[in-house]
Amino acid sequence: MLIINCPYCGPRDQSEFSNGGEAHVKRPDGSKEIGDREWGEYVFIRANPKGLFYERWVHTHGCRKWFNCVRDTSTDQILVTYKLDEKKPNLNNFKSVVKTPSGEPEVGSGNFTVEK
Amino acid sequence: MKSINLKENQFIQFHQKISFKFDGVKYFGYKGDTIASALLRNNINLVGRSFKYHRPRGIYTCGIEEPNALVQIISEYSEPNTRATIKKIYEGMEIESQNRWPSLENDFGSINNLFSPIFTAGFYYKTFMGPHKKFWKNLYEPLIRRAAGLGKPPKDFKGISNHIHHNVDVTIIGGGLNGLLAAKSFINSNYDVLLIDFEDQLGGIINNSNKISLIDNKDPKDWLKETIQEIEDSKNIKILKNTLVTTYNYINHLIAIEDRFVGSKPIEGKVNSTLHKIRTGHTILCNGHIERFLSFQNNDLPGIMLSSSFEKYMCRYGLAPSKEPVIFSNNSNSNSLVYSLIKAGLKPKAYIDSRSGEEIEPNLFDLIRKNDVPLYTNSQIKGAFGNKKIEKILVEDSSSALNEIKCDCLCLSGGINPDVHLFTQSKGLLDWDEKDLTYKPSKPFQPTITLGSASGQFNFDNLNSDVNQKLKTFKVKKLDVKLELNTNTKYNIEKLWEVSPQKKSLWAKSFIDLQNDVTTKDIRQAITEGFDRIEHLKRYTTNSMGTDQGKISSINALGIVSDLLDKKVNEVGTTIYRPPYAPLSFSAIAGRNCYEFYDPERKSPIHSWHLKNGAIFEDVGQWKRPWYFQINKDESMHDAVQRESKNVRENAGILDGSTLGKIEIKGEDALEFMNLIYTNSFTKMKQGSARYALMLGEDGMVKDDGIICKISDQHFIATTTTGGAATVLGCMEEYAQTEWPNLKVFMNSITEQYATFNISGPKTREIMKKAFPNINFSNEEFPFMTFQFHEFNGIPLRILRASFTGELGYEIYIPSNSAPKIWDNIQSVGKEFGLAPYGTEAMHLLRAEKGYIIVGQDTDGSITPIDLGLSWMIGKSKKDFLGKRSLTRSDTIREDRKQLVGIIPSNKADKLEEGQHIILDKEIKSPVPMLGHITSCYYSSTLGHDFALAVIKNGRSMIGTKAYASTSSMSTTGVDIVKPVFYDEDNKRLVS
Repeated sequence: MLIINCPYCGPRDQSEFSNGGEAHVKRPDGSKEIGDREWGEYVFIRANPKGLFYERWVHTHGCRKWFNCVRDTSTDQILVTYKLDEKKPNLNNFKSVVKTPSGEPEVGSGNFTVEK
Repeated sequence: MKSINLKENQFIQFHQKISFKFDGVKYFGYKGDTIASALLRNNINLVGRSFKYHRPRGIYTCGIEEPNALVQIISEYSEPNTRATIKKIYEGMEIESQNRWPSLENDFGSINNLFSPIFTAGFYYKTFMGPHKKFWKNLYEPLIRRAAGLGKPPKDFKGISNHIHHNVDVTIIGGGLNGLLAAKSFINSNYDVLLIDFEDQLGGIINNSNKISLIDNKDPKDWLKETIQEIEDSKNIKILKNTLVTTYNYINHLIAIEDRFVGSKPIEGKVNSTLHKIRTGHTILCNGHIERFLSFQNNDLPGIMLSSSFEKYMCRYGLAPSKEPVIFSNNSNSNSLVYSLIKAGLKPKAYIDSRSGEEIEPNLFDLIRKNDVPLYTNSQIKGAFGNKKIEKILVEDSSSALNEIKCDCLCLSGGINPDVHLFTQSKGLLDWDEKDLTYKPSKPFQPTITLGSASGQFNFDNLNSDVNQKLKTFKVKKLDVKLELNTNTKYNIEKLWEVSPQKKSLWAKSFIDLQNDVTTKDIRQAITEGFDRIEHLKRYTTNSMGTDQGKISSINALGIVSDLLDKKVNEVGTTIYRPPYAPLSFSAIAGRNCYEFYDPERKSPIHSWHLKNGAIFEDVGQWKRPWYFQINKDESMHDAVQRESKNVRENAGILDGSTLGKIEIKGEDALEFMNLIYTNSFTKMKQGSARYALMLGEDGMVKDDGIICKISDQHFIATTTTGGAATVLGCMEEYAQTEWPNLKVFMNSITEQYATFNISGPKTREIMKKAFPNINFSNEEFPFMTFQFHEFNGIPLRILRASFTGELGYEIYIPSNSAPKIWDNIQSVGKEFGLAPYGTEAMHLLRAEKGYIIVGQDTDGSITPIDLGLSWMIGKSKKDFLGKRSLTRSDTIREDRKQLVGIIPSNKADKLEEGQHIILDKEIKSPVPMLGHITSCYYSSTLGHDFALAVIKNGRSMIGTKAYASTSSMSTTGVDIVKPVFYDEDNKRLVS
């Protein structure tokens, strides 16, 4: 179980939080003309990378505040959490541990190197 | 195998006798004995039958790694698959052996051993396929299920467990030599430390063997006593004994289970186990090593055990399982057993080593020579033989000659492995050590430190520097402990995984997994059949898939596979060890979250009245809602629902609607916010009026509905469905924070603060007038879809004129604490008008007659407001609201979408059912094009027949036509498609 650092309450157990999917997805302005494709992408399409990922969480059983974070999806490590109105951190500031050719992190995935 | 008692020690006192029963026979053991040591003391070697072939099995080890000696504890809620090697006995304990019928000695299932040549790897996959696929479900599976498993599941679930949370800086797992040294370093430091050991005594190797002769020039036992005292006195260290760490999760989160009744019978009603949930800064793994066995023919016979286990029985339990065991080894770990035997005045019958004379340690050589122990170097055991116990072994010596040795006990050592289960659970990486022939921890993923043999240090020479080096991140004392050993200092091993049998036979078995009855032949066969990846091989042969996870055998299997594939072991890889380390009972995991505490029950303020008045309850989310009210015990649900609904249509009914979600929305920008959240427009709505509203997802699908009361542009109260309250509030909060943070608006749940009564029926106005004489309920003063605030006897009320039944109706909102008073008052004044309570089922029937939908029943997340015929509710002039743009997507404007219609059977006497498919043809010929299905269906005594709501492709254009509803017996019922409203289409009753 993860420990998540709520920007309002500090480090708390994962069981208090809910995941809200990809962060920094802008809702198209409803007062303007929006194409089917643009709207469809907003509603249905989300990134699902292996590695560093901007993500939304909400402190459901706590302050009920939404916030953003950067999580490494290959190791589940949460590298930083920040408030919604804060600027998103540059991913280059973080070291991704995905290194090996198969895309598995060297440590942490539980897989051992197997010669192919 | 004849055992003898040795000297007493601090763990076992021979004057404290304890009686227990095994398979109905009474035996005696001593206080401190495990089931295994007590059975060995009574010369019982046969303790169970194996999983697949029902072969006789004995006690193989002296600890948690035990694959064979699993027993059922009858006196503890019939707990199955208990390891006899760790469970301590107590007075009056009742134990039974497992997987045998009619008795352990004469087991019918052992016939499987005769047929064993056909029960090879993949037997079930290959055999139980035909001749028809129904055979699996009806014949094979029930048969296999009956035969499968070892113990019998207990009938009752009675154990009670508690959960305790810890938050510490350092957790030391294992209280052996290294664990104690680590703990010693932390004495009186600024770190919170937890020291965990799964035995009732700290000390590990110091208690279990004679390897160490002196520590700091003291007897090891004395040093141990002093050290434990120092640790216990230190205020920053907490010791948990009888506690097994089963799980190592992310971010140093550990799960450990503590047995609260070691060596005594659990007391009924008392907590018998504690689940510790530990969050720690650093984890120090000192959990030691596990000895491996060796594979040769019949290596499963009772009387065969691991050599370190034999030594542990001697040191811990004052018991030598045999007076003259034969020892077979390929490494130096068994040296101390020879030393211990001779020290106790016993002598091994023979010492067999696969290593050559030069490789064997000189001090062992001397010991053996001096005591005239027959020595076989460069030798191997080809097989063990005997009837239900070991009687003789066949040894191939260095000159390839065969020697038969009669014996009653054989001690095996195939080398040692660091206990890496927890380390790999933590996602750390292992490395193969070609010299020590084992996987050792190499790269931790978390702040994990391994010490001693758990880290792969099988020698004691670097003891101090290793601990000091690895603990240098902490501000702790440096260690300087002097250690002297009885036996060799350098660990040495020669590669030996398997000895092939002397005679080739279909029945010759060399086991590689004792618990799951996997033989080395199965491994060979699996590889021949192409399962050469270790993860595939494991699942195909079930190797190491038992509850012991192959603790004494999985590395041997890797060795055999690597030889067969001609690869290095690290190329073969290893399967992943998964939690739990050892099985833990469901009652421990459940803790107190069971029975009435499993899920909270929510009850309305009127609940006790419902109980007294014959309510039968329905679960709606966590709420208990009256489903219907029985006026007497003989009334059926059908009769009750028809009576209740008829009474609403003719007189008046009252429903406890307190479970409805209620959300209060306030703020400068509340109006704009509500316009964005709901489809309806609230801008032109008058203060004091109410509106039925829909909430969509961004995909345009109906998510919830409710009535919105506008108190002012800055203040609204919304109701939601009973089940949707939390989701709707969550959604409002999300959008207020993430998309429209500029809007000044706040929202809060007031669901439990207010009770709601829905009164409806033609006589409602009379009842309301009488109940609240100060309020004018005339149609002009109190029109449909308006609300008013009032006070009655000092109780504030909000009364809304709305209806979910199609009759004249009012909803009263009252602070929960005052609700019972008002409810009772309405009941008493309503009597003369025939007022009666009604439940949710009658409510569903009444609303369906009017064609009112229930979100989640008539919709399923794929239905838009347009599909429901509710386009009038969409504020088209609004620039934006949740899901607005989706309502004009190419997919949502299709004409052949499923639309809400009404269905009545063409022959009024026919019955309909929810879930029935609507099709066009009378005959069912597959493939049948399906138009849609019935979402709600009831019998109406007002109409005199069944009627239903359904969602059907292009349904609105089919109104007035005929179709068919398929039945579960593959026939059809003719139906008419009609408008989804069956009663008072002009809403005359509603607005009168």
